[in-house]
Amino acid sequence: MPSQPLASVTRQLSRRSVFEALLHRSPISRADLAKVTGLSKQTTSEVIDAFQQQGLVRPVGRTSGNVGRTAVLYELSPAGGHVLGIDLGARLTVTLADIAGRVLAEADEPTDSRGGAWALEQIARLADRLARDNHTHPSRIRSIVLATPGVVNPRSGAIEMAPNISGLGHLNVVGFLSEKLGSPVAIENDINLALLGEIWHGCAQKVANVAFLALGTGVGLGLYVNGQLVRGENGAAGEIGYLPIGGDPLQAEARLQGCLEYQVGAHGIVRRYREAGGSDVDSARRVFELAQAGDTVAASVIEETARLTGLAAATIVATVDPQLIVLGGSVGARTDFADKVARVLLRLAPRPVEIRTSTLGKRAGVVGALSVALNKLHDELFGVADLAAALPLPPPRAHASR
Amino acid sequence: MTRESTHCFAADLGGTKLAAAMADARGQIVAELTEPTDPRGGAHVAEQIAASAGKLARTVGIEATQLRHVMVGVPGAIDPLTRRVSLTPNITGLQDFDVLDYLRSRFGPGVEIENDVNLAMLGEQALGCARQCRNAAFLALGTGAGLGLLIDGKLFHGARGSAGEIADLPIGRDPTSQAAATSGTFELEVGSLAIVDRYRRQGGATGVTVRDIFRLLEEGDEVAAAVLDTTARWVALAVATLQSLLDLELIVFGGSIGVRAELYERVRRALPALFSRPITIAPSELGDRAGLIGAVCAAAQALRQNREPAESALQLP
Repeated sequence: MPSQPLASVTRQLSRRSVFEALLHRSPISRADLAKVTGLSKQTTSEVIDAFQQQGLVRPVGRTSGNVGRTAVLYELSPAGGHVLGIDLGARLTVTLADIAGRVLAEADEPTDSRGGAWALEQIARLADRLARDNHTHPSRIRSIVLATPGVVNPRSGAIEMAPNISGLGHLNVVGFLSEKLGSPVAIENDINLALLGEIWHGCAQKVANVAFLALGTGVGLGLYVNGQLVRGENGAAGEIGYLPIGGDPLQAEARLQGCLEYQVGAHGIVRRYREAGGSDVDSARRVFELAQAGDTVAASVIEETARLTGLAAATIVATVDPQLIVLGGSVGARTDFADKVARVLLRLAPRPVEIRTSTLGKRAGVVGALSVALNKLHDELFGVADLAAALPLPPPRAHASR
Repeated sequence: MTRESTHCFAADLGGTKLAAAMADARGQIVAELTEPTDPRGGAHVAEQIAASAGKLARTVGIEATQLRHVMVGVPGAIDPLTRRVSLTPNITGLQDFDVLDYLRSRFGPGVEIENDVNLAMLGEQALGCARQCRNAAFLALGTGAGLGLLIDGKLFHGARGSAGEIADLPIGRDPTSQAAATSGTFELEVGSLAIVDRYRRQGGATGVTVRDIFRLLEEGDEVAAAVLDTTARWVALAVATLQSLLDLELIVFGGSIGVRAELYERVRRALPALFSRPITIAPSELGDRAGLIGAVCAAAQALRQNREPAESALQLP
């Protein structure tokens, strides 16, 4: 039960609806805010005055073209608070945005190969630099979300099974970063966040049931059903590298790395090309290039990769019945590859499902991290007891140039 | 307006039998019946359901028209928008007849239909082996293969109501064959017809049923043992698949074949080699009553909520 007195809850609700209207309809006048929210003009003005004092809104001009007096237009102020999205993989991407979701700056560099605490120090350094470059103090950053490979235990917050970054497993990542950056940090699996990124700004907008199938160095799945991420009992839902597809699941390497990932992960593509008599290539991308150039061995390796991915997609369709499957990751997001997978799925699934390729590409994870960081900040500022639903985020905006 | 009802009605419609129950608001069953499903299918089956409600109502001394909360489990996928039933090979004419519309014309808007395996999952969550579970599955293996999914405490239906239609899992010998397109790749390996066929192909006698094969196994028949080993391996692959997708706390084995210890113990033994993390499987506690009990729980909950409306949530101004 809410412990607040009713007047206080009413005030919170008013603030929340004015904020929501500003989020979606800026610039907007006081009169229009009152119209949109259904609040009285007086209440609307009181909320706007309070917001202005807090630095949450600013005037941005006046209405024009109407007969009679012009009115002041307001928008959310970029100084109202900032959020940080971080994607920690082979590369490290850090993005700073304001409370309205406008991207202010982004930095991207190879992750410190020493991993562990060095990678975390690198995050703190980049965050600090982005804040200062944008003339804001790091303390104005009020919500931070980190995308990381591996399984994030929903109870302990620990990162488990993150094979591509060394030395993270035994660190208290949340504690370390919260301390360093001075605001709360949340961690979420990078593929789950890439999926949320596509839902906010990418190819899965307004879709209630989506599967995001990522193929690159690793293989993973994000599931979004009825408006929520599926995390599973221990945060390990979507660990589809372990699907028993593409070989003998009892074989040692397949058991260790996961049967499907052993075959269709980037290393698997390279290995199968070499095993089939191909030349000594160093990347999956090279195998795709050779296939395009007429190398028949490469072409058959790609076909087989598409067939196995199609089997994984059919498995997802039979089990969770998504409306849309998004293919992402360095291999998955290739349209030539996605077309092949779609053809395989058509043969396998009795009810066809649309396949799209990720439109955010490498930025999907960091965009998803921003969306969650924004939800958390909005909820902290305007959350109402017993009203758990997150404020809807504003529609996509053009990515501000650096 | 008739008097407010104090009872709800629940039914579980199967290919061969219809089970029906009348319960009070606490979900306590006060009358129950089972009869063979009307083989004419379609409208006849819908009438049979309504008639069974009438019979049960009389035994309690109320009018069937007083029943406002009705939950019927059906063996098929239910379209979330049209509420039409599809994928029901076991009952003729159920795809072409609007069961829900008919039952609502008899009992009012409080009628709902739900996939039978989903209701079995609910039954196990309420009163069976999945109590306290938030992420679980009910794997039904019998004539066919079906799955009820509980995700974050709620039943999961999918975009088109066909989540858990695992007959179509591409786990089997040839997922691109014509037969697989018709019956489903996985069902071709683990459905009762597949088991009987496998027994024949491996040199066993012809004309035996799955039940016979379980009996023969007890008598030391080696072909029967080999057939169940193979079947269990396919099932284990499906279980590992579900676990890798959904990270479940528990997978309940049900259906006439799924509940047999001779099968699920073989599956349990096959799992550690297939999947590096532990997977918990357990036989259904409610057995062939799981679907009916799930339907009773859902109907009784609707009855309670109608009588004592939940405190209304705060509305945004």
